[in-house]
Amino acid sequence: MAMRNAYVDQFPAEAKVIKAAFWSSFLALAIGGLLGLVQALHRTDVVRFIDSADYYTVLTAHGVLLAITFTIFFLVGIFTWAVTTSLERGVVDTRFTWSWYAMMVVGTVLVGVTIFAGFLEDAPEILGAPLNADVLFTFYAPLQAHPFFYVGLVLFVVGSWLAGVDWFRTWWAWRGENPDERIPLPTFMVLTTTLFWYICTFGVALSILVFLLPWSLGIVDSVNPLLTRTLFWYFGHAVVYFWLMPAYMMWYIMLPKLSGGKLFSDPLARVVFVLFLLLSTPLGIHHQYLDPGIAEGYKFIAMTNTMFLLLPSLLTAFTVVASMEHGARQRGGEGYLGWLRALPWRDPVFTGMALAGLMFAAAGFSGMINAGMNINYLVHNTWWVVGHFHLTVGTAVALTFMAAAYWFIPQVTGKALWNRSVALGQVLLWFIGMTFMSNAMHRSGLFGMPRRTAEPQYSGFEFEPAAGTVGEINAQVALGAVILTVSLALFLLNMVLTSFNGSSDAIPDNTYAGTLSGPEDAPEILDNLKLWTAIAIVLVIFAYTLPVASIVENGGLFGPGIEGQQLTLVPDTATVLETVREVMP
Amino acid sequence: MRVSKAGLLVVAAIVIPIVVEFRTALSWFGIELSVLEGVALAVTIVLAIVVWAVWPSDGNGNAETEPTDPE
Ligand code: HEM
Ligand SMILES: [Cu+2]
Repeated sequence: MAMRNAYVDQFPAEAKVIKAAFWSSFLALAIGGLLGLVQALHRTDVVRFIDSADYYTVLTAHGVLLAITFTIFFLVGIFTWAVTTSLERGVVDTRFTWSWYAMMVVGTVLVGVTIFAGFLEDAPEILGAPLNADVLFTFYAPLQAHPFFYVGLVLFVVGSWLAGVDWFRTWWAWRGENPDERIPLPTFMVLTTTLFWYICTFGVALSILVFLLPWSLGIVDSVNPLLTRTLFWYFGHAVVYFWLMPAYMMWYIMLPKLSGGKLFSDPLARVVFVLFLLLSTPLGIHHQYLDPGIAEGYKFIAMTNTMFLLLPSLLTAFTVVASMEHGARQRGGEGYLGWLRALPWRDPVFTGMALAGLMFAAAGFSGMINAGMNINYLVHNTWWVVGHFHLTVGTAVALTFMAAAYWFIPQVTGKALWNRSVALGQVLLWFIGMTFMSNAMHRSGLFGMPRRTAEPQYSGFEFEPAAGTVGEINAQVALGAVILTVSLALFLLNMVLTSFNGSSDAIPDNTYAGTLSGPEDAPEILDNLKLWTAIAIVLVIFAYTLPVASIVENGGLFGPGIEGQQLTLVPDTATVLETVREVMP
Repeated sequence: MRVSKAGLLVVAAIVIPIVVEFRTALSWFGIELSVLEGVALAVTIVLAIVVWAVWPSDGNGNAETEPTDPE
């Protein structure tokens, strides 16, 4: 035990918080993933476990638990690891760390209870409204949730803000001790990501605190739906980078090391993270290409910014692959492609992350289709989009996190992984399952199969796939979903059985990749966080002032006066139609 | 073995998206493979790769090439 130098040996107090955050995220993954299977089988009419009227309760839980809870709990864990490991010092005060974690837990429980109360025959009335929140993870008006849902979200987001404060505090303390040093790369990545998280969550906080929460409490009687949508998407695109940046961080600082080499370029990595800080937020309107009430010109600006964001992703692909090649050649790999064989494919951490990166490349292609203003009209709100983001957040992020867990859980517990072969099988199964599910979803979208629909089997209407049959495509979705669920079960099994293991001496040291071209090659200005934040804010002001002003001018700050819809309570189409007419005169 | 067992598994896994997408791509050229034909194609490719992998690389029956070695 004397020689071991794992994270838990260096930072035992921090390791406990990180472990708690990881387990919170695994729990969300377990519940959310199971609901994914329920949805896939329900929609394709293979087996229907639930009543279709409860579909949106399931879908809300799946979206919130996976896209918000699972991802963010995991990333606050690795960000805390990254800051402490790269600064070689603990957080300033672990009681503060525990308190933001606790705040996020309380928020999650409140949100979760409110969503799951939607399954009850008679949801209890609290604060004069029935407890439910069938509002999907996008929660914009006219859908309305119980106030607890919004309060829970606020607690969760504020918890994440305090986590950011914790990382900044730790960095400030370090800077005091090391005034002349460059910010270590992992900390740089965490801080830039946190900065755009602050910028983008400002919009959703505004939306909740000024509009949605007062509206659900009955303090104001209406809201402007387009305004709440726009504020959501102001946050909703940047949040995808909040999920993705930790995955990128893993690819930059873990993959090169696992491949046996070094990161190709520290300066390039810094440039990439600065570009994300600048461009993550001023493009949310690309989710609203089909929204009436926003002029085409603003949509065009959003599209242009989106296309610019391809640049840092392509830089990442280049740097990471170059670093892997360098590693493979260090291990004796040769030839144009022969070096690929020298990579450590037996290692589930490596293979999981590499396959996640490969799927992200595919997601990049379908993302470019989404991002094009005109071609987006073809796929908007179809299953194509769902196929796309199961490659991004559902694989590039989720699979990277699961693979990373195989390295992190031993680091923070001091226990050896229960079974590495099962882990390798698990990441391969996720890759295979997602291939089936996502490919079929993309193809469904091309013939107009809508997303967010419990029973897309319409009478008197046939979908016309350009290739294959609807039955076959549905079977492919169901098959993919089953394989994914098996993969998920294997992941959780490995985690649970690992936690029953005793402490082990064979845990690798807590390290990350060195660099071929280090921070000394990066211009000082890259570390000027104030400058980049200021530019990011200016870009946001440019992109959003005019569209928001015109939305408020046309629809009123608090809207033309519509009532909220609670979906489970109003299965009556006439009411829904009436609402639609009120929104779109 | 010309590649490690793990490497072989990974290659087999990567064949699946290639076949799935290839089948869709072919249909744009009017060539429609049935599900069974698609599965057969995948199995054939994977088998071919397995045979290639276990085939001795220099005709010497028990040549054990380490995966990290050049061909
Ligand atoms: C076991 C694996 C999974 C399965 C079987 C699955 C299945 C599905 C299905 C069928 C839908 C579409 C429902 C519809 O359009 O009506 C869906 C939506 C969604 N999934 Fe998954 N999923 C899985 C994993 C994940 C993961 C890991 C994430 C994110 C980390 C994720 C995030 C989402 C989100 C955000 C939605 C959209 C919800 C909405 O439309 O409001 N899923 N999932
Ligand atoms: Cu987006």
